[in-house]
Amino acid sequence: MKIRTKSLSRKIVLLIAVATLATILIIFSVFERINKEAFHNVEKEKAHLVLSTIEPLIAVNMYLSLNNRIDQLTKQLITNPDILAIKVLQGDSLINQRKSKEYENEIMDSFEVKSDIFHPSSKKQIGTLILSYSNKKYNELVDRYTSLLLKVLFLFAIFFLIFSLYVKKLLSPLRAIASLLKGYSPEKNISIPFDNQNNEIGFISSALNNMQRRITEYSEQQKNINKILEEKVDEKTKELRNQLYTNSLTGLPNRRSLLDNISKHDDGALLIVNIDDFKEINDFFGQAVGDSVLIAFSRKLSDLISNVSEVNLVHLFGDEFALFFPKKPSRDEFIRFGKQLIVDIEKMTFYHEENELTIRVTIGGTYQSQEAIEKADIALKSAKKQKKEFLLYYETFNVEEQYKNNMEWTRKLNWAIDNDRISTFFQPIYDNKTNKIVSAECLIRLIDKEDKVISPYFFLGIAKKSKLYSKLTKIMIEKSCQYFEHLDCDFSINLSVEDVLDEKIVEFITQCIKKYNVTNKIVFELLETEGIENYEEVSTFIHEMKSLGCRIAIDDFGSGYSNFEYLLQLNIDYIKIDGSLIKNLDRDKNTQIVVETIVNFAKKLNITVIAEFVHNEGVLEKVKELNIDRSQGFHLAEPKGSITLE
Amino acid sequence: MKKILFLYLTLVNLVFAYTYDDIVLKAQASIFPKIILLDKKIENKLIDNKIVYTIIYDKTDHLTALSIESFINKNFKGKLDKYEYKVNLVDFRDFSADTEASAVYVLNLNEQIDKIAKISKQKGIISFSYDINNLRKGLMFSLVIEKSTVLYLEKETLFTEKIDFVDALLQMVQFIEKDLVNRKLHNSIESKTFYASLFD
Repeated sequence: MKIRTKSLSRKIVLLIAVATLATILIIFSVFERINKEAFHNVEKEKAHLVLSTIEPLIAVNMYLSLNNRIDQLTKQLITNPDILAIKVLQGDSLINQRKSKEYENEIMDSFEVKSDIFHPSSKKQIGTLILSYSNKKYNELVDRYTSLLLKVLFLFAIFFLIFSLYVKKLLSPLRAIASLLKGYSPEKNISIPFDNQNNEIGFISSALNNMQRRITEYSEQQKNINKILEEKVDEKTKELRNQLYTNSLTGLPNRRSLLDNISKHDDGALLIVNIDDFKEINDFFGQAVGDSVLIAFSRKLSDLISNVSEVNLVHLFGDEFALFFPKKPSRDEFIRFGKQLIVDIEKMTFYHEENELTIRVTIGGTYQSQEAIEKADIALKSAKKQKKEFLLYYETFNVEEQYKNNMEWTRKLNWAIDNDRISTFFQPIYDNKTNKIVSAECLIRLIDKEDKVISPYFFLGIAKKSKLYSKLTKIMIEKSCQYFEHLDCDFSINLSVEDVLDEKIVEFITQCIKKYNVTNKIVFELLETEGIENYEEVSTFIHEMKSLGCRIAIDDFGSGYSNFEYLLQLNIDYIKIDGSLIKNLDRDKNTQIVVETIVNFAKKLNITVIAEFVHNEGVLEKVKELNIDRSQGFHLAEPKGSITLE
Repeated sequence: MKKILFLYLTLVNLVFAYTYDDIVLKAQASIFPKIILLDKKIENKLIDNKIVYTIIYDKTDHLTALSIESFINKNFKGKLDKYEYKVNLVDFRDFSADTEASAVYVLNLNEQIDKIAKISKQKGIISFSYDINNLRKGLMFSLVIEKSTVLYLEKETLFTEKIDFVDALLQMVQFIEKDLVNRKLHNSIESKTFYASLFD
């Protein structure tokens, strides 16, 4: 039963009443049952006692065949008002029976008990004694007991009722307190009575009054704290907002601020100013000087444009600033502004200790407000690429077309890799003394769907951007090693610095050359410029490969600032003189001097010199005249899918 | 034969012997041997593994004794429960401590009752008497037919360790005091007719 009441005191009283009722019922039924059984057992025991008392006498009389005495005994027994009938059986035959009037008329309720009659000495069963015993006393006992129990239980119930009412009265202050507390709030003090009572309710009331006082005090304190916190939060919000929209170094608005500003205007124009080679200032003078230059530059730039209305200067990041024109000037004015800005910036001088620093900038601009940052950035990158100082977005070379072209080549490259259309071409290298092929350079080619051979010029740059470069290197290494496995000829493979720096590629190369047993045939061609820039990594690679028996060539030697000391330290085997020096060798006296110097130096170091780009007989003759060891070029043989050794 | 025997007995009795109540005799012959078995120390009383029921009589009652023997044998057919028994007829003059007996049944005698009682008590022999007056002289049991059959036991005879009756027997018997004997005897005559049919 679910008691639907909100009052605790009522609930307690009801629960006590229910518990009392249940207890009374349980006690009544249990006691009734136990005692009835006990009373019945008592009567039974009495009957059995009678039986056990007379059984030996009847047994002896039955044994001695004194049936008249048995009759006397039963006659005496039947005078007992509790005994309603007696039967004496000898074996199965009834030898004596007596019945009272009550029994015969079925007036009185009775129960029957039996006892065996045993031989007095041998204890064999010789008969049965059956007694019908009256339930009268049992019924009387039960009636008296039930009456008494009901009286006791009634008194018990009365007691519990009084107790319940008393409990309800005791708990009534709690209801009053609860009702008062319903309307409590820290602003509204309430007076809780009963605190003068010297009991739990008094203690609760007193405690609640104390608690109320403390809550009020605490609430006041919280209000003050909240006020202070709100002020602090406002302060911090402003600070964070500033940080969010301001560059922490220069204090100028940042990229996010620019984006907000652009979005607020329907039109506008944007210039992005990038300081050229600012990394060199950082590397040479340190980050702190770089930062101070940036701060000084931002101030000078602010001063420079202070007279120009409606221009917002923004520090995008690092060495990049932007100027946003919410009100578009005319296109000519805009271009003139940009170009004049370059001139003015070049005039700026920055000082560090006793050093005077000047900077140059490249500016990219857009005359459109839609995607202004992206467009100005594209213009800036195009300007850098084209080595122009200033470029407007519309002047750039169809950047979208370039992106589309890149995506197309990436797709073609993926197709070629998946369909084994990356092929190896070989260009022979001749010994200038014997005129015989001594080596071959392995060159990558892509065979397109129309079986057209595509030069790496078209796809190698894309491959580097699209992370397919390492796959191409692996294909080249695998196919070249496989091709020369059974050919008695040296072969060379071009490796970029990306390959040398990639541990997985180096591991692949090592496994591959061992697998095809070409460690003594293979020559790795490394670019001179890349080798200088990453000297330590390249040196480790060379050392590792040479320990396996491989050889190293420096490719395009003479294209950069050729460093002979560097060559000495790298312990290389071949120098391939850059094509730019060879192509006019037969006519250009200066290049002849340069090449001669290189050859002399190489000879002293016992390095074999190879001339590439030998495109005519005149050049070949000059090459031989200058004592260059080997030649390679279209005049001698074009790259082909296979090589024929003479 | 039976009729002749009874006729003879009747005639002899008429001439010499004491007149016995036939109903009482039969009742005693039916009940006394059974009482022997109610002694818990019956095993000590066996002679050659048999219960010896000795009838002591005067020579004038020899026929009565024979008729009792015959009645017992006819009634019990040689066995008292699990024990074999033997009925021994002894003239009271021949009765001594050497006489074999698990129990003695004394017919009407005028002398030697004290002796028989004494020997019985000494040897732990259960003694039955036809005549209730003999209980006064120290015999143990007698049976009188009153309104119902009543067994009498002389209380003092129980003070022996050699006899130990089941309790129920002691509950049903009438313990006799010597001055009551005569009165009981007198009452028994009135009941004779009532019990006559009991042993037909």
